[in-house]
Amino acid sequence: MAGKGGSTPATYSPSPTTDKKKPSLFNEDLARPDGRSFHQCRPAFFRTGAVNAASGSAYAEVGNTKVIVSVFGPRESKKAMMYSDIGRLNCNVSFTTFATPIRGQGSDHKEYSSMLHKALEGAIILETFPKTTVDVFALVLESSGSDLPVVISCASLALADAGIMMYDLVASVSVSCFNKNLVIDPVLEEENGQDGSLMITCMPSRYEITQLTVTGEWSTPKINEGMQLCLDACAKLAKIMRSCLKEAVSDSQE
Amino acid sequence: MREIQLPLSQTQKVRLQKALEQLESLSTKVNSDASVIIADSIHVNHEDGVLKGHGTADLNGEVVATLCGVVERVNKLVYVRALRSRYKPEVGDIVIGRVVEVAQKRWRLEINYNQDAVLLLSSMNMPDGVQRRRTAVDELNMRCIFEENDVVCAEVRGFQHDGLHLQARSRKYGKLNRGQLLTVPPYLVKRQKQHFHHLEEFGIDLILGCNGFIWVGEHVEAKDDMIEDQVSQSDSQVLFPNKNCVSLEEQEKNYTILETRKYISRAANAVRVLSTLGFNITLEIIKGIIDLSLSMNLDIHDMLGSEFCVLVAEKEAERRSSMKKRR
Repeated sequence: MAGKGGSTPATYSPSPTTDKKKPSLFNEDLARPDGRSFHQCRPAFFRTGAVNAASGSAYAEVGNTKVIVSVFGPRESKKAMMYSDIGRLNCNVSFTTFATPIRGQGSDHKEYSSMLHKALEGAIILETFPKTTVDVFALVLESSGSDLPVVISCASLALADAGIMMYDLVASVSVSCFNKNLVIDPVLEEENGQDGSLMITCMPSRYEITQLTVTGEWSTPKINEGMQLCLDACAKLAKIMRSCLKEAVSDSQE
Repeated sequence: MREIQLPLSQTQKVRLQKALEQLESLSTKVNSDASVIIADSIHVNHEDGVLKGHGTADLNGEVVATLCGVVERVNKLVYVRALRSRYKPEVGDIVIGRVVEVAQKRWRLEINYNQDAVLLLSSMNMPDGVQRRRTAVDELNMRCIFEENDVVCAEVRGFQHDGLHLQARSRKYGKLNRGQLLTVPPYLVKRQKQHFHHLEEFGIDLILGCNGFIWVGEHVEAKDDMIEDQVSQSDSQVLFPNKNCVSLEEQEKNYTILETRKYISRAANAVRVLSTLGFNITLEIIKGIIDLSLSMNLDIHDMLGSEFCVLVAEKEAERRSSMKKRR
């Protein structure tokens, strides 16, 4: 397309004066939308044995985020797959149609599925079930922010309930960054307005990290601070998960 | 108290709790310290030269659990017995499976194990009972014996390179018809001398599969092993029975009378109740539950109600305490 002779193509660059500031999520006394302090996690509830038909299952509720995970297997791998001397892990994360405020958007989440796979793969002793597959199906019943960390934590409980050999339970927590503030376990509103996010998945007893996901702009000191926050929160979350498992073990022992 | 998924009233809760506590006191006490969950450290004396078994791992010179369960010690061996483990086959186990695939010279069966089991055509008694070599014609007509989704009873023969092998070389094994297949946790079915039961007073058969599959069906008289081929029938008719043309006589043969169907449902519900309560499944307990439901004039569907479950728990506690007194 030919422009007018001698005219240069106009480019748009916003002037600093016209740049509107983001509406602040936090009020003056530095409280969050749900009234928590910056470094405070939402109350968590876990329960195993939620689905009778599955080999193992768990239900998790962290704030308003509700997740149910079913584990099937180990069972024989499909014919199409080639021989493997270690077990295979197959993960699937899906949302119900009523999970999000916008109705009818429930579907399989490919990105979450692969992240769940990566997070759990390091904790499971895959050598103990060669030629077989373990299927992990996660269903988010209500999405209220920090969905993936809740799914990962719940999935590790379901695997433990199914009697799959693991090095340790997997706990996961995320942190959001707002200018200079670090906010742990963000809700949906906070996730929509964040400058960056950091999610850590770790094995608390071993102090090993199985997955670290960082998005947005982070300075090195901020990342260190965020990681420390996450690891501390993971340790607390793991205590709740362990007490839930202990309860289940003592019940079935009776 | 064991978590039981039942809508119980307050009085029912109290009664059930009391019955379960009584059963717990009667059973041999399990050391609560022995129960571990994933990543719990297991106390061992390293000077004794400990052997680390199933469900354990080494972490910085310390033995940790990789499963949720109970720590068991056999001499120097330390292992974790999982509380909710899958079925582990042993040679000679009676199992019930569902055909998932008809392959070359073999059927593949789902038996609630990590891998599908294999039932070879050569490990199978022919329907006519004649002992002979399996020819190519037999191989072509494998679907006349078992096809996909058929329920089959067999015995574990052994472990081969291509998986778990089954055999059905007796008249008590084979295809199961006219009944209900129930699935319970495998640990509720203990290995016994007899897994095939015929409840004469009800006219039903009960097969307790070691893999947690339980069959409750109409009693079928086992035919003699050696049956002469009927000369009147041509080979083609024997090999390719026409499934669409069913005579009235055959329909009558396949029909299960209402009374028997009711007893099958009662027995099935008795198994479901035991599974809900987490009690071991044995013939005498099932008989007791059926008799209890009949003596109470209870409808079949009411057997799955909360009140009946509580009653069963109380009766079981009574039965075990009376058995202990006799000893």
